Amino acid sequence: MITVEVWLYGALARYGGDEDKGAYAHLYLDLPAGSVMADLLRRLEIPAQERGVTFINSVLSAMAGLQPDLEHQLADQDRVGIFPVISALPYHDRATAAMTPEMRAALERPEASPIHNALSGGTESPFERNTPQ
Amino acid sequence: MKKILRVNMTDRSYKFEDVPEAYRTLGGRGLTSTIVYDEVTPTINPLGPYNKLVFAPGIVTGTAASTSGRISAGAKSPLTGGIKESNAGSQFPQDLARMGLHAIIIEGYPKDDKYWVMHIKWDKAAGEPKVNFLPADAYVGRGLYDVFPELFKRFGEKVSIAGTGIAGERRYLNSGIVYNDIDGRPSRYSGRGGLGAVMASKGLKFIVTDRAGSPAVPLQDKAIFEEGRKKLVDALRNHPITKPGGGLNTLGTAVLVNIINEAGGFPTRNFREGQFEGAANISGEMMAQYVKERGGGRMGHPCHPGCIIQCSNIIPKEDGSELVSVIEYETTWAFGANCGIDSLDVIGELTRMTNDFGMDTIEMGGTIAVAMEAGLAEFGDGKRAIALMEEVGKGTPLGRLLGNGATLAGKALGVIRVPSVKGQNMPAYEPRAIKGIGVTYATSPMGADHTAGYTIAPENLSSGGQSDPLSVEGKADLSRAFQETTAFIDSSGHCLFIAFAILDIPSGFEGVMQECNGVLGTNWTVDDAVRYGTEILKKERAFNFGAGFSEKDDRLPEFMSYEKLPPHNVTFDIPDEELDSVFGKM
Repeated sequence: MITVEVWLYGALARYGGDEDKGAYAHLYLDLPAGSVMADLLRRLEIPAQERGVTFINSVLSAMAGLQPDLEHQLADQDRVGIFPVISALPYHDRATAAMTPEMRAALERPEASPIHNALSGGTESPFERNTPQ
Repeated sequence: MKKILRVNMTDRSYKFEDVPEAYRTLGGRGLTSTIVYDEVTPTINPLGPYNKLVFAPGIVTGTAASTSGRISAGAKSPLTGGIKESNAGSQFPQDLARMGLHAIIIEGYPKDDKYWVMHIKWDKAAGEPKVNFLPADAYVGRGLYDVFPELFKRFGEKVSIAGTGIAGERRYLNSGIVYNDIDGRPSRYSGRGGLGAVMASKGLKFIVTDRAGSPAVPLQDKAIFEEGRKKLVDALRNHPITKPGGGLNTLGTAVLVNIINEAGGFPTRNFREGQFEGAANISGEMMAQYVKERGGGRMGHPCHPGCIIQCSNIIPKEDGSELVSVIEYETTWAFGANCGIDSLDVIGELTRMTNDFGMDTIEMGGTIAVAMEAGLAEFGDGKRAIALMEEVGKGTPLGRLLGNGATLAGKALGVIRVPSVKGQNMPAYEPRAIKGIGVTYATSPMGADHTAGYTIAPENLSSGGQSDPLSVEGKADLSRAFQETTAFIDSSGHCLFIAFAILDIPSGFEGVMQECNGVLGTNWTVDDAVRYGTEILKKERAFNFGAGFSEKDDRLPEFMSYEKLPPHNVTFDIPDEELDSVFGKM
């Protein structure tokens, strides 16, 4: 078993069960050893399209529509912070904040473009693309 | 025909001047910085007779362009000793633009200690505004919350106000220029850089504008303007951060609190740590909960008419009565995490006091944090923080010391950990955790300023030779591109928060350029935004070098090079040569 500290912010607080404080939920979750991010999301019943910016131990691991961390293996004592899609990291921070190698690789894919966020994403994009290129 | 209003406060004379061709396409920051560069000798005393205070609306301000009610105030800064452009959103610049005023230049020096109200009223028959000076004695030495209702009663509910509070009267280095919000509160600020003291040094207490009956801002090409306006509106209305019901609208700018905190870049207890255990309690999400549960407040409040984003707020007290408007991201951080305080009620009270005295919340919070560092209060002691603010308002010797900003307080109190660049306290992004913004803090001509590098032209990154933002060289290139494009947006009259939308939706950026073309008759493309920004930055930097600055001032405080910041346990390790290359390669 591992214990993971989870912060759910804003609208996602409602997936925090008894720990839902309205503005946020702060909970400690016991998971089987070897669990990955997808397991955590399943356990909390957070739909993929509602998840935006995510941090694992203060390292950016996902953004709206870009979720390369689903297979990221969690460790005991990890801290995971999950935001709804309406919360964003300003680009000037996005560019140089710490991020997981998978996230970096995802951002470097040509279709992601340097100033990407989910608007240029594919089918998993939680909001519709509104402007033709 | 647009005019420049030049006011001489030595004898309160004024004249309307034709706009020189070289200034025709300049607006906002581009115009204030150019006029300061052209007319102010860099070595002068910023509070002496030779400084000039310049106000300029942005290029599209006053038109139907969305989210464009921004004013630039410029002068030599008494806080930094360098050039300053301090930007705010309010109806004031919309009034100036509607009355055909390209800029107001305040110069001269009063012969006595008297203060004046400058009343600018549109004169339909004359086709230009009429200017009157009225004694301001009745308003001196009083809080702005007290004075503003009297001004509206005297001059009319629909006027706009720019002014300075008791902080300016006392020549505090931390004194802002205040503007009214849409409900008449003294809550919109050109806060940074001490420009309120410059205004007061001219004997000018308030500028009141009455645009009633003024014509629409003329357009050179209505079709192009309209096309661009629609593109930007589409981008703003469709982006999850900027749209109605989006992140900024529902949670305010403090939507960033939890995010930057999770990233480990939320400066805590005077920049000792990068993560605050009480962040969730001072976040935008918590503000929205206050509004919902307490009633009486409001999220999604516009700082000026015509804004789509509407990221301002009114925060209620427990009984539903008004605590304060507005608590911004930087403000909730400055009085919150940076002082170790996790109560929005305390933060709101400190914010109200800062607005009342006429000051910048970022610098004020930073100064209280330095005072806490010196032992004048424990970190987290909200009661004591309010008591220190009261001293600032009363003007006691300690209050005066704290009113002069974090750098001066640090020197006076023997504190080494003072997170300032060029004398200006850092805002709410930790440069050790988020190094890109550290490069901008270090090199911006404005001193440590988060707004100096908020946006970037898409082409700037995607055209050949793209830099890796994680490489050292990439960060310098990135910061340069950010600063150039941001200088343009600050000139356009648009709010920087359009950046979220126009970076992700390139047609939004095109729309901004088309709006400018529609107003000016130019043929600018996105490339021109960068060129325009470069020219502004070069002038600002040349002014600073003339004032005695050199590359050696483009550095972060020393402690950041050896104190490791948790949770990432990192120092600021960008080499000096790389910092120098930001402007070296421009």
